[in-house]
Amino acid sequence: MSALIQATNLSKSFGSKLVLDNINFEVAAGEPIALIGPNGAGKTTLFSIMCGYLKPDTGDLKLLGQTPGSSALFGKVGALPQDALFDPNFSLLNQLSFYAQLQGMNKAQAHADAMRVLTLVDLADCAKQKATSLSHGMKKRLSIAQALLGEPELVLLDEPTAGLDPMNALQIRQLIAKMAEQATFVISSHNLFELEKLCGTILYLEHGKLVQQRTLTTKIHQGFLTLTLEQGDATQVLKELALVSGVHKVDSAQKNEYLIWFDADLAPDTDLAVLQMLRTHGWRYKSLQHGQSLEQQLFAVANG
Amino acid sequence: MAALAPALNQVRNLWLISRFEILRLFASPRGWFALTAFVIIWYVLLRYPIFQASAGIQDPEIQRILGGMFGMAGMYNILNWPLPELSAYWVMCVVLLPICTLFFAADQTSSDRARGTLRYLMLRTSRDSVFFGRFLGQMLIQSILISLSIAATLAMAWWRLGSLSAGALEAAVIMVINLVIIIAPYTALMAMCSVLVKSSRMAISLAVVGSGIVLGLLGWAAWYLPVLQELMAFVPSAQIPQVLSQHGWSTLQFSGLPLAQTAVFLLIGRQIMQGKSL
Repeated sequence: MSALIQATNLSKSFGSKLVLDNINFEVAAGEPIALIGPNGAGKTTLFSIMCGYLKPDTGDLKLLGQTPGSSALFGKVGALPQDALFDPNFSLLNQLSFYAQLQGMNKAQAHADAMRVLTLVDLADCAKQKATSLSHGMKKRLSIAQALLGEPELVLLDEPTAGLDPMNALQIRQLIAKMAEQATFVISSHNLFELEKLCGTILYLEHGKLVQQRTLTTKIHQGFLTLTLEQGDATQVLKELALVSGVHKVDSAQKNEYLIWFDADLAPDTDLAVLQMLRTHGWRYKSLQHGQSLEQQLFAVANG
Repeated sequence: MAALAPALNQVRNLWLISRFEILRLFASPRGWFALTAFVIIWYVLLRYPIFQASAGIQDPEIQRILGGMFGMAGMYNILNWPLPELSAYWVMCVVLLPICTLFFAADQTSSDRARGTLRYLMLRTSRDSVFFGRFLGQMLIQSILISLSIAATLAMAWWRLGSLSAGALEAAVIMVINLVIIIAPYTALMAMCSVLVKSSRMAISLAVVGSGIVLGLLGWAAWYLPVLQELMAFVPSAQIPQVLSQHGWSTLQFSGLPLAQTAVFLLIGRQIMQGKSL
């Protein structure tokens, strides 16, 4: 099966600043893909190259086997570019219908598809309004709506929840989860929590280099528990956790959060044993999660 | 056939984009504002300069003086159009329209680039279809406005005479074609400038300052090397004195230069658009 996205020796500089440094990766269609990295890591530059807004200095990038910006990708790749706004002179319906027509639909199909995507993002009631009358969260949902016009195979979302309140962010995460069966999403974000919940593959960029590419499978979750307590004496908790049968290492990641290594084959019920121990000591817990958090996985490797 | 389909799609998109520009004029507040300004400006132009100039042209004495003046400049045919209103309209438009075009056609892609709207478009269509579609849209809009203004001029003449001759209608058609050709290089120049900057104001400044610098350098160089003076015959509007010296369909014989200038500006603008980051 051919790769959905394939980057080969991709580099891009702005002046003397090297923003992408010899990036190589290949991802297949399927579960959402997360593009992670600190500010200035090159995420938006990589996104812009994927969308065809920027050209790489060297190397090659292919989406669905085509060069970004190629006419063969029109309608197959949807994107939420960062900070792009709709034309303030036209209604949402008018512009979305226009975009759908550009994708090859006739007027009636374009109108129906524009209403479909507006309904998906819960903006159908605002169809006749102009983008200037929308809140920040609504504008973000509108931008996602335009990315879903037609039947895209690949949807690129650059910071889809940046600057949103928790309710709007949740709505967007739910929408992505719902649509992920129909298209492959590539999501760039700083929010590891939301990417962890949504994505199957992680691309981690740092200083313009691809530091990691990994797949979040059940296997890597095996043998780890992440425990979050409401409160408790860390020294005492660490000591008691270490005594639980099957546990061979315990660490305190941050306040009231503990990472537990155990033998998943020999002691598969370690989670139950941990809960039993908590009950015995009267320690109340907030969550007990199988596996390391995405943050722990990434930074454990990134920090060596 | 399969290879032809994407090309045909881009032609279809070019038309959709130019049609959307027309919609912008007739169905958006910004367009209504521009149309209102257009109506007011043309009311003032028709009511005062054109009306009074056409009244003056009808006076045999003034006609004799103007004939002498225009004759000296080789433009005696200005007074030979079928209606004095058309003569006044013709001179005014030939001089003013290119300047108006610099302002009217300034925002072909610049504000969309600043706003990021171009990024939405580029996911669905080629840079060529956006660039040429916007240019075509501007040309269509200006053609509509020129037609409306000449219709108003004819209406004023009809109000004076009670009828219009077929010659007057034919002259109006010739003038519309001429004026569209005259503004084409200016519209293409603004298409090119619009690609380079992020606001219409900067596009106008770039066009005015850039043209001034080019003309200044050309004049300065021609001072030392007189043969370069020949290049002045290729700058936009260089054909205007010759156009004004003609009358009727023969005015169109000088269309080659503005059409070639249009092609050059569009090709340069297209190349910039292709390489421009969004």
